[in-house]
Amino acid sequence: MRVYSVGSRLCKTYNERATNRSWSHLQNFLVTYSSRNATAVDEFAEFEDFEEEFETGAAAAASEEDDGDSIEDVEVEVEDEEEDEEPALEDLELGHDEEEFEGWDAKEPVVGNNKEVPRLTITKVPMHLRTNWDSYFLEMLMLAGLAVYFLNFVVGRSKNQRLANAWFSAHKTLLEENFSLVGDDGSKDVDPNAGLIKESENVFTLWCSGRSCCEGMLVELKLLKRQDLVAVISQIVRPVTDQIQIRVNLTEMDSFVFCVAAKKTAQRLVKDMADISVFCPERRSLEKMGVSQVFSLMNEIGEVSAALIDRRMIDALNKYSDLIDCIHVSDQFTGQKQPQEETGTATKLPEPAKVLICTFNLPTKQRTPQEAADAARPLMQLVFYLLERVKRFRLGKEAKAKAINNRQKAQEAFLKSTHAARAEAAAARREEKRRQEKERIMAEDDPEKQRRWEEKENKRQMKKKGPRMKQLKVKAI
Amino acid sequence: MHGSPVSQADPRRPDKIVRYKAPAPLSQASGAAPGEDLTPDYMNILGMIFSMCGLMMRLKWCAWVALYCSCISFANSKVNDDTKQILSSFMLSISSVVMSYLQNPTPMSLPWATT
Repeated sequence: MRVYSVGSRLCKTYNERATNRSWSHLQNFLVTYSSRNATAVDEFAEFEDFEEEFETGAAAAASEEDDGDSIEDVEVEVEDEEEDEEPALEDLELGHDEEEFEGWDAKEPVVGNNKEVPRLTITKVPMHLRTNWDSYFLEMLMLAGLAVYFLNFVVGRSKNQRLANAWFSAHKTLLEENFSLVGDDGSKDVDPNAGLIKESENVFTLWCSGRSCCEGMLVELKLLKRQDLVAVISQIVRPVTDQIQIRVNLTEMDSFVFCVAAKKTAQRLVKDMADISVFCPERRSLEKMGVSQVFSLMNEIGEVSAALIDRRMIDALNKYSDLIDCIHVSDQFTGQKQPQEETGTATKLPEPAKVLICTFNLPTKQRTPQEAADAARPLMQLVFYLLERVKRFRLGKEAKAKAINNRQKAQEAFLKSTHAARAEAAAARREEKRRQEKERIMAEDDPEKQRRWEEKENKRQMKKKGPRMKQLKVKAI
Repeated sequence: MHGSPVSQADPRRPDKIVRYKAPAPLSQASGAAPGEDLTPDYMNILGMIFSMCGLMMRLKWCAWVALYCSCISFANSKVNDDTKQILSSFMLSISSVVMSYLQNPTPMSLPWATT
């Protein structure tokens, strides 16, 4: 390595100055940085001249020639004998002793040694909450959102309340003419002023009772969720209307299932309602009867539609086609279809009820609550009209037979589908009984009785496992 | 359509009054009657999960979302729902917000923000 050789020559030249210490320093330095490659030619071009000068500098110890190993950053400026001619000496950042090294300029380790390693310990100072409000912009946003939500809650709630009250006051007289009990909250004593009951901020109910041909009437005002901002926003995306659902529990009604509904609602009902899906799943149009085409008919017995959809009904359906959502009359009403897992395990059909269910839309858009309530009043009258007609209507003989047949078939189908579940339940019951008997016998101290019982048990087992000679009769419940 | 009932006689029958029976206790277990709105229940659980996340992982945005969930659950709740449940959910979410800020008063950064 040229630097090494130069260095050694220099030391020899100035041997009165070179000390062991400085020589070892130089050696260390050179060894440390010997890994870097550099083109010896370019780096040490400046030494060409000096080498000629130092002819006398004999054999260097520098036979350790690493191929072109040199320090990139090191500019070894070889000093002349006359220091004055060397321009760069002043520029050199030398170590502690200026005269220690001639022409050794290593910036990095020198720099490393000169300056202190900055040990900056940044002490963790928690930010003060009050100094810098601007940076809490997200928090302010969150709080503002909450405030808006609560504001909307209050406004929406009061609007729903006003709607419900307007509806009730508009219908009160009509209801009181028809029912002897209007408004009941189900508590022990009859409160004459019960009125509307608030189920939630958007659902109000009213129970009326005490009328001929019906047990009672439950009116549910299913208003929009104006109190929930999320619902209000989703209302913009998917508009829904305020609805009134009137359910009348009938006392006397012939056997049929009949439904007139708006097309979309009809689709949903056929899927969801147990009785419609079993007895009248096909949807038909009512255009032949002169009814607007927004409605579909689902009818079990043909003559029912002719009887119920009379002149007045047709007029009402056409006039209030945007307000009437669904009219459902059924003697086999069991609510919505249970999800599949439950039908598998259920052993008994739920009790069917005779109902008349009407679902109407409340026209609240661009109207005051009072106007909307008044617009809904004719619909209530329609309900009473229908009620009377259904009560009076009787099926013909053939129709009645057909209806009974349909119901029997439905019953059998249900029993078949749950046969497995029922058999399992029966087997479980038998097993339980036997186990209890066994426990009872075991508990008794009399060995004689135990032996006798065990013999009986064995005989029973043999009979079961043996060939079946008898024909087993399965009795359908 | 105007109206009087078809029969002119008074249809009211005071002797046939049937008292109102609230349908809730009759329906299937744990209020799973079809058609019932389960939003308040879902929001309640979601709120609790978010507040636990916010407390344990010191995520401020979780705590705020929990607070919103409790509010939505409260707005959608029924009148005869248990108020203790909703109150406890509220308290939990508020405590998670407060704790997140006490431990680390720096402003919140959104979960997808890089800084």
